Amino acid sequence: MFLGRVVGQVWATKEVDDLRGRRLLVVEACDDMDEPGAPKVTPVIVGDPVGADGGEHVIVAFGKAARVACGGDGDLAYEAAIVGIVDDVHAPGAPDSWQPDGMRGSA
Amino acid sequence: MHVATVIGSVWSTKKDTTLEGVRFLVVRPYTTDGKESAETMIAADPIGAGVGERVLVVHGRAARHAIGKGHDIGFQTAIVGIIVRMELADGRTVGTHVDFDEG
Repeated sequence: MFLGRVVGQVWATKEVDDLRGRRLLVVEACDDMDEPGAPKVTPVIVGDPVGADGGEHVIVAFGKAARVACGGDGDLAYEAAIVGIVDDVHAPGAPDSWQPDGMRGSA
Repeated sequence: MHVATVIGSVWSTKKDTTLEGVRFLVVRPYTTDGKESAETMIAADPIGAGVGERVLVVHGRAARHAIGKGHDIGFQTAIVGIIVRMELADGRTVGTHVDFDEG
């Protein structure tokens, strides 16, 4: 599981049945945002059973946890999903980018 | 699950029997900073993607499930969709093919 921010959305045409009609979002890990010189890790594409919006901070789970969150019996062609939308983060020393926009400066 | 670009195909004759009839492509993960990733992956392709196309790639059990041959098969990465469009919050748009990108 990791803390990330929704940075976009993806649409696919030809896709396996499991993905049909599902919303897919692009999430960037918060860890990657604070080192301007460092190469960005590839963004993760996640299922969104929770209903997150662009710019929101989210908790992303991998593996079976993600498939169960997306419904069914956990057998889906999914490996990452949003399992929560972050309201606030308390982590002493954490960079500003970890804070959801509404909370920035108040931590 | 990642976005990647198909950069080629791989053929293999002598292989694990569970891989027979499965098409394999070479894909390169998409990076947000525009730099080409040096890392490439081999992905099973049940959909029929072509070179230059942008695809959705999954790993592990999700990939084996996507192929629909049961879960005891000898691979861990699969293509599960061809991307029509990816919109990023900074205004960039990524299209279905590496040649059609805007912004």
